Amino acid sequence: MSQKKRSTRRDFLKTATAGAGAAFGVPYVVTSAALGNSSRPAASDRIVMGGIGIGNMGRGDQWGYLNRKDVQYVAMCDVRDEVRQRSKATIDEHYGNHDCKAYNDFRELLARPDIDAVHIATPDHWHAIITIEACRNGKDVFCQKPETLTLREGPLMIAAARRYGRVVSGGSQRVLEDYRKLVEPVWAGEYGKIKSINVNVGPLPKLCNLPAEKPAEKIDWDMWLGPAPWGPYNSKRCSGSYSINGASWRSFSDYSGGGMTDWGAHHFGGATFICDVRDLQPEEVIYHDGKEGRYLEYRYPNGLVLTHNRPHHQNMQVEGTSGEKLPPKPVPTYQGGDNIGADFIHCVKTREKPFRDIELAVNTAVVSHLGNIAYLLKRSLKWDAVRQEFPGDAEANRLIDRARREPWQL
Amino acid sequence: MLADAFEALKKFDWGTDLGVLTPIEEAVIAAHTDAGVSQDLENRLNAALKGDLSRDAHGYVCRKLAIIGTAASVPTLAGQLGGKEQSHMARYALERIDAPEAGAALRDALTTASGSQKIGVIGSLGSRRDPAAVAPLSKLLHADDPAIARSAALALGAIGTAESAAALQAALPSANGDRQYVIDALLSCAEALLASDKQGEATAIYKSLSGEQQPRLVRLAATRGLLACARKQA
Repeated sequence: MSQKKRSTRRDFLKTATAGAGAAFGVPYVVTSAALGNSSRPAASDRIVMGGIGIGNMGRGDQWGYLNRKDVQYVAMCDVRDEVRQRSKATIDEHYGNHDCKAYNDFRELLARPDIDAVHIATPDHWHAIITIEACRNGKDVFCQKPETLTLREGPLMIAAARRYGRVVSGGSQRVLEDYRKLVEPVWAGEYGKIKSINVNVGPLPKLCNLPAEKPAEKIDWDMWLGPAPWGPYNSKRCSGSYSINGASWRSFSDYSGGGMTDWGAHHFGGATFICDVRDLQPEEVIYHDGKEGRYLEYRYPNGLVLTHNRPHHQNMQVEGTSGEKLPPKPVPTYQGGDNIGADFIHCVKTREKPFRDIELAVNTAVVSHLGNIAYLLKRSLKWDAVRQEFPGDAEANRLIDRARREPWQL
Repeated sequence: MLADAFEALKKFDWGTDLGVLTPIEEAVIAAHTDAGVSQDLENRLNAALKGDLSRDAHGYVCRKLAIIGTAASVPTLAGQLGGKEQSHMARYALERIDAPEAGAALRDALTTASGSQKIGVIGSLGSRRDPAAVAPLSKLLHADDPAIARSAALALGAIGTAESAAALQAALPSANGDRQYVIDALLSCAEALLASDKQGEATAIYKSLSGEQQPRLVRLAATRGLLACARKQA
């Protein structure tokens, strides 16, 4: 970056110091490059990054960050030997050196003081632990969707992000990119007040009982399982394929919420964006199981009804108020570029909240989790978004979280 | 049908068709609205637990007890907290059982479990936010094993009471586990106290972490906390 731009960043920091927290004389916003310990080199205009979980999505995310001139990609972590080797080779070839460090244990990567930010694309059961640990170590985080496996995890991830002033972005490029054509007219007020929107997504997660197999790859199986219950290696159990029908971890309740979370992150995320309730959580889930089949109604505090798998309704089918037109609102969008990765990097530099700020991403995941619980218990639920519990419902409250396999804990 | 399913459970293992256990799944649903069905099912699950089940079958039973288990299941589950292959799934059930006996069993296991199993028990006490666990967990802040000390710190942070904070503050100067976890736990306590309108106590914690000797990340976190306290007071 030119000297002129370098001065501009320093001026920004001075401005931030003066503009906020004046009583305490410290900046309200500080880049992670300025934080760290005395062994770090002087602040650079490149964001130093690492990646954790370099499977299908992780590889794609890595490629996006690797090809940015304002990112220096220095490390990656995966519990599969072949993946580590392949990923390191890719990165080293890109930079024409051998500097990329490959790790099996994400804690070693996160402990590096030179790394500013990480992207996470492990299976879902790892997302919360790694994100929180990253925040503790002063890293900004891009975490793939779905960001949580249980309801308890979301508030803890948000708390860690806010506690340490980290930029934490959830995933799902589809929330903006797939549904813009519906977002724009709705936000322009052309539909009037939105009464309801339907999402068709699934299936529900199921218990994995696959038989043991001899590992077809060199993998740290204990680390792959991490906090999840022990189960034997099976290629389908740990496959990162996009299948949600039993051929990958996405299908199984110990690692994911099935299609409800995997594609729910996109569809529920899109629906709540269209209806401008990204910053809200449902207060009630009504379970229907009648002649027309099973479906859910999520009721929001502002009166919106979001349905799941409502019979005779298409995905993203919106019901507005006929004849009504509302004042237009500006549509939030990515900053710094036309993709979610660019948005994340922009926010790492400016310390703004990203388009899929972790709080918004968690609100989407809550919709998925509430749905899975309603279907599991086969009944309606009330949800207290402030206390993050099911009021007076001990049975449902049991399902807010699950015990993690030692030595892992939140 | 249910009896057949429990018979099948005796031979259940990874690779077995889950369909053989469908009657148990249906009984769990029925148990939600029928106390008699619930008690009968719990009795059957406990009886199965005492038998010679595969690790997979043991895990399955514990998953069901996580949903319907009561204090009646605690003794059997408690006896499995020290076992390497059984401890996690025993906690899977115990952690979710909303009965004081479950908390007591986990606290008792702090003195009997060791190694990773002990860390698991500590984690479950933190997840339960058990205030009665603060005293024993405070002692573990000084454990010789830094992993146990670290786990105890995280659990105390999750519990988030003034007593937790006091224990963490006292342990900080000589923290055996990584200091960052003790500090993180203190910050977590401060947030919980502030959320409970205990600004004074939260402010004291933040001020104690504002000194120049703290890493910048911590000082900034403390500053944010002080700002939050000031905003709440205003």
